Amino acid sequence: MEFNNSIPIYLQIIDSIKKDIVVGKLKTGQKMPSVRELAAILKVNPNTIQRAYQELDREKITFTKRGMGTYVTEEKKTINSLMQEISKKIILDFVEGMNKLGFSNKELINTLKEYL
Amino acid sequence: MEQILKATQLSKYFYQKKALNKVDINIEKGNIYGILGPNGGGKSTFLKIAAGLLKPSQGEITIDNEKPGVYTKSIVSYLPENNYLYRWMKIKDALNFFKDLYNDFDFEKARESIKFMELEEGEKVTSLSKGMMGRLKLTLALSRKAKLYLLDEPLNGIDPISREKIITSILDSYSEKASILICSHLIYYIEKLLDYVFFLSEGRIILSGNAEELRNKRGMSIDKLFQEVF
Amino acid sequence: MMTLLKYEIYRRWRWLVLRYVALIIIGIILLNRVASPAYQNEFIGESIGKFIFASLVIFIIVIVEGINMLKEDLFEECGYLTFTIPKKGRTVLASKLVLLFLQLSFWTMISIGFGSILFSKLPYHEIVQIETQINFYLFPTVLFILTAFFNFVLMVHFSLTLTKTLLVNKRYSSLLSTGIFFFLIYFIEKVYYGPFLNQLNHVSIEIGSRSNINLLSGGYTAVFLNIILTAIFFTATAYLLENKINI
Repeated sequence: MEFNNSIPIYLQIIDSIKKDIVVGKLKTGQKMPSVRELAAILKVNPNTIQRAYQELDREKITFTKRGMGTYVTEEKKTINSLMQEISKKIILDFVEGMNKLGFSNKELINTLKEYL
Repeated sequence: MEQILKATQLSKYFYQKKALNKVDINIEKGNIYGILGPNGGGKSTFLKIAAGLLKPSQGEITIDNEKPGVYTKSIVSYLPENNYLYRWMKIKDALNFFKDLYNDFDFEKARESIKFMELEEGEKVTSLSKGMMGRLKLTLALSRKAKLYLLDEPLNGIDPISREKIITSILDSYSEKASILICSHLIYYIEKLLDYVFFLSEGRIILSGNAEELRNKRGMSIDKLFQEVF
Repeated sequence: MMTLLKYEIYRRWRWLVLRYVALIIIGIILLNRVASPAYQNEFIGESIGKFIFASLVIFIIVIVEGINMLKEDLFEECGYLTFTIPKKGRTVLASKLVLLFLQLSFWTMISIGFGSILFSKLPYHEIVQIETQINFYLFPTVLFILTAFFNFVLMVHFSLTLTKTLLVNKRYSSLLSTGIFFFLIYFIEKVYYGPFLNQLNHVSIEIGSRSNINLLSGGYTAVFLNIILTAIFFTATAYLLENKINI
C-alpha cells in the first residue's frame, strides 16, 4: 500500500481498513493482523498501527479481545453505517470535484445520467 | 512512559566550533525517534556522546540514569557511519566477537539475519561492498537486545533492495521496552517509521514533535517540512 | 580481559608462531654449525653475531607491534568498536600489555637460552672472564632491559593517549605525541633516575654487591624503579582511556 506522507498515516490506515471491510476483503468477525504483523507488512511504525486500531475500536468498527487480538465487528448495523459513511464521502468528493470544474448541481446530475 | 535517555543542556565544542549547543532531548521507551538535519549539524556528535565515544563539553547526558560508561555501553547498541570493524575479521569473526563481548547478543538471530541479508559468513570484512557492509553492520547492531539503538545514517549509500531489508530489520527490532534513534538526512524512506522527530542544525534543535501531529498541523510530509526548514 | 586477550592473540596468531619458530630454527641451525667439529673458533663469533641480529629483528618487531596495538584503536576507525564495547579503559590496555609481556618473556627465554649455549662454545679463557661477571649480573640486567622496553611501549601508549585527549584532529598528533614522549624520557632520565644513578649498576661488568637480593641493592634498584614507572603510566593511561579521550 502506498502512503501519502503529507497526511497522518494512521488516518490513511483507518480509511484503508474501513474500505476493506465494506468491500468484503475483511469479513465480519475476521481476526485482524497483529500490530507487529501489520507494521511489518506496511513498513510503518507499530505505534501508528496501534493508534489506528485504537481509533477503530473507539468507533466500534473493531473490537479487541485482550490477549487474543483485534477482530472486525459482527454488528451488521455498524458495517452498514460504515458503508453509508464511505459512500457519502465518495459522493461529497465527487460533487465538490465537479463543482470546482464549473458544473452546477443540476448539470452534474444530467452528466451522471448520461454516463450510467 | 519511561525515559531511557536524557540530555540536558548538552554542549560539545571542538576548538571554536559548537557542534552541539545546549541541546535538550528526552528519549522514551517504546518509540522510534528521528534526528534529522543537514550534514555537520550535530547529529553524529550527539550519537557519539550517547555511545560514549565523545565526552560532553558542558551539560549532562544520562542513559538509564547512568552517565556514559561501561554499563551504558552494555545496553546501548551503536551503529556508526564508518567501517568500524577490525580489518582482520571475517563475518563469522565479527559475530563471535559480538557474542563474546555482549551479553544481549542473539547469536542465532544474527546468523539468520546474515542469511536474510545474503551475506556469507566466510567473507572477509575488507572485501565487502558498501551495501554489504551496511547490511552487516545493521545485523550486528540489531541482533542485540539493547535498550537503546543508535543508528547513524543506516541507509547511506545503500541500494534499494538492501534498503528495504534494512527497514524490515529495524521494524523487527522494535520493542516496547526499547528505543530506536535514527539519524538521517534521507528522510523520505524512514519517515513512516518515526514516532517523533528532532530537527538539528548547527548544534541546536530547531523543531521537534510527534511525526503524525506535524503532518496534521503543517499539512506536509516530514520530508517536505525538512526541506522547508533547511 | 581474557576475552580481549584472546582476540589480540587470535587476530595475529600466525605471525606470532612464525616469528618465534623462525628464531628458534635460526638458533638451532646456528647451534648445529657451532657444534660441528669442522668449525673453527672464528666462526663461533660470526654465528653469535647472526643470532644476535635475528634476535634483535624479532625484538624490534615485537616492540613496534606493541606500540601499534593501541595506536590503531586511538587513531583509526576501528577505535569506534574498541571504545564502544562494554569494557573499561584499563581492561583494553591490559589485554594489549599482557600480550606484549608474554612476548617479551618468551623472546627473552629464547634469546638467553640460545645465547648462553652459543656463548658457552667460546674458547675457555674468554668464557671464564665473561661468565663470572655476566652470570651474577645477568638476571637483574635482563630484568632491567625487559622492564625498560616494556615501559618504553607503555610510555608511547601514554603519549598517544594524551595526544588523543588534547587534540581531536589527526593532523598534529604525530608531532605532539613525539614531543610528549621525548619530554617524558628527558624528565625520567633527569628527575626520576637521577638520585639513583650512583647506585644503579645496570651495566653488569662494574661494581656492586654479590648475591643480595635486597631490592635496594645494586642491580635490582633499577628494576624496582621501572616497575613503579609501569604502575604510574598504566594508571595514567587507563584513566585517560576511560574518562578523557574523544574518538
